[in-house]
Amino acid sequence: MKSNRDFDDDPALEHVLSQWTVRTPLPPGFQEQVWRRIALAETAGAPSGWSILTRRIEGLFLRPTVALAYLAVWLALGVTIGSLAAQARRQHLESELSVRYVQSINPYQAEVSLP
Amino acid sequence: MNKGGLVVVLGLLLGTAAFAGVYYLGTASSRSLMREPQPELAWLKKEFNLGDAEFARVTQLHEAYLPRCAERCRRIAEQNQKLHQLLGQATDMTPEIRALLLERAQTRAECEAEMLQHFLAVSRTMPAEQGRRYLAWVEQQAFLNSQGMERRHQTGQKSPSGHEHHH
Repeated sequence: MKSNRDFDDDPALEHVLSQWTVRTPLPPGFQEQVWRRIALAETAGAPSGWSILTRRIEGLFLRPTVALAYLAVWLALGVTIGSLAAQARRQHLESELSVRYVQSINPYQAEVSLP
Repeated sequence: MNKGGLVVVLGLLLGTAAFAGVYYLGTASSRSLMREPQPELAWLKKEFNLGDAEFARVTQLHEAYLPRCAERCRRIAEQNQKLHQLLGQATDMTPEIRALLLERAQTRAECEAEMLQHFLAVSRTMPAEQGRRYLAWVEQQAFLNSQGMERRHQTGQKSPSGHEHHH
């Protein structure tokens, strides 16, 4: 099977092609249409800023040291915040119980109502 | 999801699990106090490091004291209601109002004396150092910190460990 390039060596064909002129006029706005389609094709092919960022972050977490450091930070945050929240809750409950004890023995702090 | 995204999600899950685990374990002792039949007494045992025998004695004193305390509560409520009625009708100070005010003051003095007697008895069942700490704290709460019903809705009340309580 012959390729298009094979016709380059044919002097007769080359002569005919050089004599060939297109007489039909191009449709209006033809060039603008062509450039617009080229621009659209380029935009669709290019990655967006967001996808570049997510791809970079994902790539970063594939490194074992970065992944381990990231997990360690979350673990430390969870332990620290959990411990502070537990301490606050403990203090609140114990304070509540101390008030209940005083209220149980002091008629002037208990809820006073007639039977 | 690719490996990078998986690590991101895993980190979030690990942080949440660490928070929940530490919070659950950290509040276990307080939650078990709240499940006791008398949480305030269980708190007293923990706060003042009471042994089982000391705690049994404190519970006994507490239970013996409560009916007398309830009786005083009833008297206070009766007197308050009577005073409320008298004040609603009065346009001037009457001998009846004056007598009732004196009676209320007498009841209050009796209450405070009974309370102090109870506090002293409880403190004596505790180890000496804890007894002193208990007495200092409870006297502050009952007599010095909040002078009766006038300040019962006061915002701050301290526990023996110095924690502020907010209603």
